[in-house]
Amino acid sequence: MSAKRKPEEIYADLYSNLENIRAKEGVIGYILRNSKFASVNLNDPTKIIDYAILSTELLETGEVATKIFELGSMNSVVVEGNNVKVLSLVIDDQRIGIFMDKKVNHSKISKELDLTKLNQKRNASLNQNSQENQEQNETEVPP
Amino acid sequence: MSEDIYANALHTALTEVRNLCPDITHSFIFTKDGTIIAETAQDTAEVSTQKTIHSFQKLIEKTDTIGGLNAFLVNGNKGILQISRVNNMYLAFSASKKADMAYIQSVTRIILPAVVKLLENIVSTPIKPTSSPQNLIAENLTGLFIGETAQIDDEILLEWSETFDNAQIGEIEIETSNGKIARCKVKPISEHDFKGKGLIRIPEKIYRRLEVEKGEPVKVKPIIPEGK
Repeated sequence: MSAKRKPEEIYADLYSNLENIRAKEGVIGYILRNSKFASVNLNDPTKIIDYAILSTELLETGEVATKIFELGSMNSVVVEGNNVKVLSLVIDDQRIGIFMDKKVNHSKISKELDLTKLNQKRNASLNQNSQENQEQNETEVPP
Repeated sequence: MSEDIYANALHTALTEVRNLCPDITHSFIFTKDGTIIAETAQDTAEVSTQKTIHSFQKLIEKTDTIGGLNAFLVNGNKGILQISRVNNMYLAFSASKKADMAYIQSVTRIILPAVVKLLENIVSTPIKPTSSPQNLIAENLTGLFIGETAQIDDEILLEWSETFDNAQIGEIEIETSNGKIARCKVKPISEHDFKGKGLIRIPEKIYRRLEVEKGEPVKVKPIIPEGK
């Protein structure tokens, strides 16, 4: 049994979480992708390419700025236009872009996704503990 | 009022903001074309602001779809970086994680726009770009291996190169009459039929981004390599 959760499981969890976020008022859509899969759910499908490019560029700019200004590890990046804002973040190798109306509180959404992050860490830790316990039981010599 | 005085005034404003908010580690103001007008830092450590600006400019080009770029925020576990638009300039500051962001934002949103507005009212000559733009006629450039490189007359490239100490001009900025701006690589026009006509052949992708029409005049200026 692997201590680390499979990317597919993380992806599935995030997908479900993003679908809940998607249902919130003012949320226009999201893009979730990793090296193997991608899910897109946007109000306006004609904007998929533009939004995907923007979301990628946003994370790249965020990474450059994080490195240059020594901001530690990047939690999230936000860009705000006249009408729409975008929240981008990376959880494991899952890259997420959430598009919303300018008035939506992106911090709340970011916190919800942070919870996902925490749950993943907790699950990974639980899995590891369970693995360690199992190994310990297996090595115990019966009297 | 000269550009120096303008820059000094903004530098003083940034310093005052940092005195009010000591958690600000670095702050600078720059224009859309990437020129840094004023900059202050908490310590002497050199930070490559130019690299950030360059990356930020690439991001600006992609934000037409969300109605331009008004604010950009990076949230790290040790600190934050915020860039916000103030009139036709951008104010950037980085701060430690413990900083009171609400306070910093209220200070920067009041003081700096007020200073900028005041200066713009006083300054008779606005900040000039580093080179005068060339008016060229837009022409769509399509093809399989076009990439994102525009083409203009070799003579113009040579002229710019001579103006800037024989600098290699490899990048340009294109501005439409609607104020849309894009940066891209540039090389001389390859097809004879298009030479000497004052054209700029713009790759399809950038053409669409700029929402430019064939035959429309656009302003084109060279991006001068650093140190020139």
